[in-house]
Amino acid sequence: MFYRLSGIHHANYVSDSRIFKVPADRNLAAFIFLIGLAAPFIVPSLYLNSYMLPWLIWTAAALGLNLVTGWAGQLHLGYAAVMAVGAYSAIHAARFGVPWEFALIIGGLTASVIGSLFAFAALRVKGLYLALTTLAMQFVMDWVLTHSPAISGGSHASLQSPTLALLGQDITSDTGYYYVAFGWCVLVTIFMLNLKRTGLGRALVAVREKDFAAAILGVNSFYYKILAFATSSFIAGVSGALLVATFFFLAAPEQFSVAVSIQVLAMVIVGGLGSIIGSYFGVALILLVPGLVNGLIVTLSDQLGMQINVETLAHIPNAVYGALIVIILLIEPLGLGKLYGNIRDYLMVWPFDQFKK
Amino acid sequence: MKKLTQALAVFSMFGGAMFGTQTLAEPFKIGICYDLSKAYTFATPQVSQAAMDLAKLINIKGGIGGEPVEVIVRDHGNEPQRGIECYSKLSREGVFVFDTLSTPVSLAILPRAMADRNILMQSLVGRGDAVDGTVFDWVYPVGPTYWGQAANDVAYIKQLHDGDLSDVKVGFVYFDYPFGQEPIEILQTLSEKEGFELELYPVPLPGSDQAGVWSKVRRDNPDHVIVWMLGGAHVVASKEMQRNRIPMDKYISVNWLNEVDIANIGKEAAKGIKRGTNVVGGQDIALYKEIITELYEKDQGSGPIEKTQDVFYNTGLAMYSIMFEAARRAAESEGLPITATSYKAGLESLDGYDANGLMAPITVTAEDHGGGGKTRIEMWDGEAWVPQTDWISEYTDVVWDVVKESSSKYEQ
Repeated sequence: MFYRLSGIHHANYVSDSRIFKVPADRNLAAFIFLIGLAAPFIVPSLYLNSYMLPWLIWTAAALGLNLVTGWAGQLHLGYAAVMAVGAYSAIHAARFGVPWEFALIIGGLTASVIGSLFAFAALRVKGLYLALTTLAMQFVMDWVLTHSPAISGGSHASLQSPTLALLGQDITSDTGYYYVAFGWCVLVTIFMLNLKRTGLGRALVAVREKDFAAAILGVNSFYYKILAFATSSFIAGVSGALLVATFFFLAAPEQFSVAVSIQVLAMVIVGGLGSIIGSYFGVALILLVPGLVNGLIVTLSDQLGMQINVETLAHIPNAVYGALIVIILLIEPLGLGKLYGNIRDYLMVWPFDQFKK
Repeated sequence: MKKLTQALAVFSMFGGAMFGTQTLAEPFKIGICYDLSKAYTFATPQVSQAAMDLAKLINIKGGIGGEPVEVIVRDHGNEPQRGIECYSKLSREGVFVFDTLSTPVSLAILPRAMADRNILMQSLVGRGDAVDGTVFDWVYPVGPTYWGQAANDVAYIKQLHDGDLSDVKVGFVYFDYPFGQEPIEILQTLSEKEGFELELYPVPLPGSDQAGVWSKVRRDNPDHVIVWMLGGAHVVASKEMQRNRIPMDKYISVNWLNEVDIANIGKEAAKGIKRGTNVVGGQDIALYKEIITELYEKDQGSGPIEKTQDVFYNTGLAMYSIMFEAARRAAESEGLPITATSYKAGLESLDGYDANGLMAPITVTAEDHGGGGKTRIEMWDGEAWVPQTDWISEYTDVVWDVVKESSSKYEQ
C-alpha cells in the first residue's frame, strides 16, 4: 500500500534498470534529500555540527568500504589508514598553496595509489588472510605517521588544516561545513546507487561470489579487484580529507588508528554488506549511539536523583551499546539495511499478504 | 470550573518554581570531558573524583563570590568526535572552561576552543607548545610539559653527579608514539650541551613485551634510565629489571606512576623507584585532610575513599585548585558573572600559587601558560615517597627554544 506497485511495468531493459523501480522509493529519497538540504534551518546547530556532519562524512567513507567489502567481497581492516593518506596528502597540498578543490582530488588520488597496494595483497590471499594483510598495512601506516614528523606535523604529530575554501569561497560557518559534507555524501550515494545497476557493479558481485567462476565467465578478477580497491580508496581519501577540513580542523594519527578501521568495518557490517541505506543506519548506530546513550543515561540518573559513580555511569552506555549491536545482529544477521528491507517488503504488499497465511 | 482553577494554581506553582530557578545566577561551571571508559582510565576516575570533591568543598564554604560552583563530568571514550560533541554541547550550556585529560581529544578541541574563545585547560596532555601564550591565547597547559619534566630529570641527574655529566650514560625508555617521543629532542640537545651519553630504547605499544629492551639496557649499562611509560608498562619494566639485575634506583619515571603501579610491582620490590612529579604525594596535605573531614567522614565523598589515596587524586586536586582559584580571582577583580575573559585574567594573575603546599608553585603569565613547569624527583622508600630535590625548573631556555620552534609552526 505504501509502496504502490500497481501500474508499474518494466517493459524494456532501460526501464528495468532504473535506480528507483518503485515510485515510493524515489519519493522517499527525494523527501530525505530535501530534509537534508533544509537541515541547517530546522536542526539546532549543536546537532547539525556534532552529529549530522560527522554522520554524513562517515557515511560517505563507509559507503567506500562497502564498495570493496560489500560489493567486491574483499575484507579490509586498514581502511582508516587509507583515509589518513588522503587526509594528510590533501592538507599538505592545501598548506603548500594548492586550491582545496585540487587538494581534495590529490588526496583522493594518493589514497587511491596507496590503497591499490592493498589490492596486490588481495590478489594473492583471500578471506581472513587478506584481513590480516590489510591489518598489517594499517600498522605500517600508523608507524609511518608517528615516526615521520615531516608528514605528521612535528613532535606533537598534529597537523593544522588551512581554512577550507571551495570555488573561491572561504567556508567557515557551521552551515557551510554541513553543506560540503552533505554534498560529498550525496555524490558518493549517487555513485553507489548507480554502481548497483552497471556492468561494473555486477562484475564486482561476480568476483565476490567466486572469483575463478567470474574469470571463467570472462570477468577479469585481477582488474576488478584493483578497480574496487582504487575506487574505494579514492572515496576514503576524500572523506578523510573532508573529515579533517570540516570537522577536526587538524589531523592527528589517533583519528585514523586501527580502532577506527575496525569501527568503520563495524559500521558496514552492522549496516549490512552491500546495502546503501544500511551504511547510513550502521554509521548512525556505531558513531552516534554511544554519545546519545551516554547523554540519555546521564539525564536519566539526574532525573531519578541517583548517585551513580561517574565511572559506572561511563561504562553503562558501553554495555547498552554493545548489547544493542548483539541484539540487532541476532534479529537480523544481514544488518540494519536488511531490517529496513524487511519492513519495506512487508509494507509493499500490505495488507494483501495477510490473505496468504 | 473548580478543577480548572486548581489546575491553574498548580501550573502557576510549577511555573513559579521554574522561574525561580532561572532567576538564580548561573553557577560557575567547569566542563570535564574525560575518557572514563577506554585508554585513560588509569587516571581519570581519581582526577574527576578530586574535581567533584573540591567543588563540593567549595560549595560547603560558600562557593565563589557567594555563588555555587559546578563540575560537569562526561565520558568521551577517548574518541575525538565524542570529545567534540561533549565540548559543543557544554559550551552551548554556558560552560567556558574545559578539561579533557586526553591528548587526542585535547588536540581535536583546541582549534574550536581557540575560535570560540573558550578556555581549554590541558594539564599534562595535548600539545606541549601550547604553553606559549603568545600563540595559544586560550589554551592553558598549567603544569610541567614533558619537555620541562625531562629537562628537570636531567638536572636531577646532574645534581647526583656533582654537576659533571661528562662520563655519565643516560638511557631513555619510551613508548614509541608521540607521548613517548616528545622528550627525545630535548634530551638530545641536553646531551650535546652537558656531554652525557644518551641511549634510546623505544618500547612498542602497549608495552607488555619489554624483554628485548631491558636486556639491551643491561648490556649498555646506563647510569640512569628515564622512563616515559604508563600504567601496567611500569610493572612489566620492573619485572624485566629484576630479571636483568638492574637496580631499581636507576629508574626515573614520568609523572604517570601511581600507588596502583607500586602495589602491582610490590611495595618492597619497588624500593628505590623514582618519579618526577609536580604535586606532593601522600595524604599529609592540608587540603586533602579538609576534604576527608568535611566530606568523607560525613559520607559525602564523590566516590570510594580508596581512590583518594592515590597520587593522581592529588594531581586532580592540584589541577582543579588552580581552576577554582582562577575563578575566585576573576570574581574578586571583575565581579560576577565570571566570563571567559575575566577568567583568563584570573588565570594570568596566579603568582607563586601552590594551593597551600599541595603542588609546585605556579606563576601563569600571558606569555607562559604553563606556570613555570616546576617538578621535583621523589623516591619510593618502601612506605612513602621521599622528595629528592626542591621544586626545580631547569634548562628553561632550552625548553623554550623547543616550545617556540614548535609553536611557530602552528599558524602556518
